[in-house]
Amino acid sequence: MISHHLGLDYALNPGWMAPYVAGLSVGKARARRCQSCAATSFPPLRVCTCGCLKGDWTDLPGTAQILFRTTGLDGDFGLVHFDGATTKTTLRLQAIPATETRGIIAASGDDLPVLCLTALGGERDG
Amino acid sequence: MQVRDVTVTGAALTPFNRRKDGTGFRDWALSAFEMALERSGLERSDIDALYVASESDFFHLQLNPASVLATELGLTGVAATRCEGGGASGQVAVHTAARAIQAGAAKHVAVIGADPSASSLSGDAVRTLYGFSFDAWTDGMTGLTSTALYALSFQAFAAEHGGTEADLATVTLQNRSNACHNPGAHLPRRDSPQDIADSPAIASPYRRLHCSPLSDGAAAIILSRTDATPRTRIGAARIAGMGAATDHMHLGARADPGFFNAKQMAMQRACADAGATPAEIGLAELYDAYAGTQLQAIAALGLSEDVSRDLNDGAFAPSGRCAINLSGGLMGQGAPVGATGVGQTATCALLLEGRYHPALQPDTLPRYALADTHGGVCTLSAVTILERAERAA
Repeated sequence: MISHHLGLDYALNPGWMAPYVAGLSVGKARARRCQSCAATSFPPLRVCTCGCLKGDWTDLPGTAQILFRTTGLDGDFGLVHFDGATTKTTLRLQAIPATETRGIIAASGDDLPVLCLTALGGERDG
Repeated sequence: MQVRDVTVTGAALTPFNRRKDGTGFRDWALSAFEMALERSGLERSDIDALYVASESDFFHLQLNPASVLATELGLTGVAATRCEGGGASGQVAVHTAARAIQAGAAKHVAVIGADPSASSLSGDAVRTLYGFSFDAWTDGMTGLTSTALYALSFQAFAAEHGGTEADLATVTLQNRSNACHNPGAHLPRRDSPQDIADSPAIASPYRRLHCSPLSDGAAAIILSRTDATPRTRIGAARIAGMGAATDHMHLGARADPGFFNAKQMAMQRACADAGATPAEIGLAELYDAYAGTQLQAIAALGLSEDVSRDLNDGAFAPSGRCAINLSGGLMGQGAPVGATGVGQTATCALLLEGRYHPALQPDTLPRYALADTHGGVCTLSAVTILERAERAA
């Protein structure tokens, strides 16, 4: 057997999702509001579920209801519904007790655009 | 355009496991190919094209694997295409190959699936990479693992359609019990419900024993235009119908995050193609990446109106009305990703011919068998319906 280490440094551009990614870094839930049916997708959809390609960026309050959660080796994750959004989303749950059903988006800072929900009142400053 | 009928003239699988014998994916691909070719009654020179299913270059560190395997298999000169659709890569390759024959572009083709999913990278590295099987920007970079996404999807399914921890245990025990009769299986085990409950939690409700393993291995089929099939292979199964579909890449953007809508659409298309109904499927190799995934698949494929009830009534047991995952499925037989869908098709073909492992071979052969895979959390689904030949054993 041959052991071989391969390190890869990617330079990835978010393209049209840049406002969403920038929002995550400062703890803003930046959603896409469809110009045709007014559905608000978060994470944003380039093409609305109604088929419309045109939308506008809008900031949601950032609070969300936890619908389902899973706990395990890699931490806690949830399927949540952000207030003001039409769609639901999967994300990381950070320090939210199992008894809590709501949380608020956390800022990811300058690292990877991590979509994370933290306890209400426990969010980091944007 | 005239649509040609397609027959599976050759089918073979290597063992699926974690290789410790110094062999690599090129060796496994050649082994599976040569077995399938021998069973087909054809020669290398008869093969017009090669279709290779391989999920990711990260596994074998070989870009452009189709051209490399063309040389390795002694097929230099044939047209070669690499097919990829995540976990559905194998079925995508089967479909692409069969469509080439139906369109009249080829008479005999080889389909090879191979991936070193177990031995080339650490489990942690594979888990990280699999996070990028979904939307890399929203799920992968967040660190959402495959198991976590499937766990959330199953919870949504159970809340809407039913499904209990006992059902998860039943699927787990049944698939691994079937694998005990498959000499090529990765995880032939006879566990108890307590063993499952005692296994480490991975992402609730999933524990280690609810999960399919990462495996090494290869599978191969030879597809032939039915009117060009060697006379010795006249009893081979035919491809009766194929269907594929996609769902929204974000679980949360789906109207019902627990229901595999793409699988339902793919099955409807395959049934329309075959002129068959889900009720006529008597054998099925389903994509059981996790125990609950099998329950979700059964519902979406229309194989049951009440999945829990039918599961517990034995409808999907080896002697049931629709035996599911006689091979052991991904959970028992294993999952070298690119080989999975090709292996399922090979398994169905061998079963319909009466040439599968004797202890798993049904006494009565159904008319139709189903091979089902998907990629993502059923973001891309591809299913194939095979039909028994009139003169099958």
